[in-house]
Amino acid sequence: MNPKWRWFLGGVAVALAILVLALLFAAYQMPELLLDWANLRYCG
Amino acid sequence: MTSTNSTWRTPLIILIAGCVILTLSMGVRHTAGLFLQPMTADHGWTRETFSFAFALQNLVWGLGSPFAGGLADRFGAGRTLFVASLLYVLGLVLMSVSPTPLTLDLSAGLLIGLGLSGTTFPVVMGVIGRHTTPEKRSLALGIASAGGSFGQFAVLPIGQMMISTYGWQSALVLLACGVGLIAPLAYAMADGHKPSAGAGQSVMEALREASGERSFHYLFWGYFVCGFQTAFIMLHLPSYLVDAGMSANVGMTAVALIGLFNIFGSFMFGWAGGRSSKKNLLVWIYGLRAVAIFIFMLVPLTVAAAWIFAAVIGILWLATVPLTNGLIAQIFGLRYMSMLGGVVFLGHQLGSFLGAWLGGRVFDETGSYMLAWSLSIGLSILAALCSWPINEKPLARLEAAK
Repeated sequence: MNPKWRWFLGGVAVALAILVLALLFAAYQMPELLLDWANLRYCG
Repeated sequence: MTSTNSTWRTPLIILIAGCVILTLSMGVRHTAGLFLQPMTADHGWTRETFSFAFALQNLVWGLGSPFAGGLADRFGAGRTLFVASLLYVLGLVLMSVSPTPLTLDLSAGLLIGLGLSGTTFPVVMGVIGRHTTPEKRSLALGIASAGGSFGQFAVLPIGQMMISTYGWQSALVLLACGVGLIAPLAYAMADGHKPSAGAGQSVMEALREASGERSFHYLFWGYFVCGFQTAFIMLHLPSYLVDAGMSANVGMTAVALIGLFNIFGSFMFGWAGGRSSKKNLLVWIYGLRAVAIFIFMLVPLTVAAAWIFAAVIGILWLATVPLTNGLIAQIFGLRYMSMLGGVVFLGHQLGSFLGAWLGGRVFDETGSYMLAWSLSIGLSILAALCSWPINEKPLARLEAAK
């Protein structure tokens, strides 16, 4: 593969990975996730 | 990287398949806590009924790992992964329709526990280890480990979304469909295991040889401490923060930071393990964990302190996995890497059981987590001291075979 394309595709992959991780991190901003997962709601 | 037994089954394909398998198996396992509240409410079960099934699962996972590793070494990782993925799927589906505590123990406890034994680190790391050169092995194991870390990070909010949208029973079936993808991926991991050095050795001989080596015991107990700390922190850190008057959002961000930095930590230490001494890196990891917990106990408990602690401990979280498995391959060879990795992983699971249980017990007895945090620091120092004398040189048998 042409080195230019390799760098381009590598850059796209890194950008997508950062986007996915940022979206997932944002998905963690729901308090009910912790209340359920760590069973804090169950404890009252 | 070394050559493989078919043209399409390249080391890169094996690595990608291994990463996806670990993402699915570790990720789905991580969502267990989400099902406690809806399942117990629907069935009228106590919290202990649910907790017992998952304690049993952890125990079966640990006890089954050496056997799953042994089966992978003997009959091939592809077959082991295939059968284990079916057990995992069956366990999830039966869990969704479990009418009694006993059926919950059999599905969530026994079947999923056995499924996890055959679809997680020891088996997957064995295949990846066999298909990489010694120079690139640690990096490859680090990438695979990062796959497991990514799974734990990614599947948790997805699981919550599924439960909120479709209900807990459908969510379990959907997660089972995800785990079902491991079965076709197992085909890529069917490496037609080629015994190299140690080919004439039986499983029992390999086990006897390893148990006669001090380094193997040091790895086992180091991993025990790793399991103790990760289970204790993951289970009790959110409650610790909420008890201190912080909001659930702060606790959730701490959990997210551990998951996020865990991905980078696993990769980074895997990469570093290929360039410097793996046992020295283990000494650093356990030592830094002790320092991080000690500072966290010393400084005033603020939101910033909690998040910085979560990020630091996240970097050190599963970083032990590529280094410990890499050392097993380096010292004992590749022939029984999965089985020996499974034995060491048993130590990890025993530590996890103790960390989760003792954390709660200490809190109930003293009304504070301080004693458990102190124990965690002490164990971390012991693990660092345990890792220091590990002899990284391959056994004489392997040197002679070269």
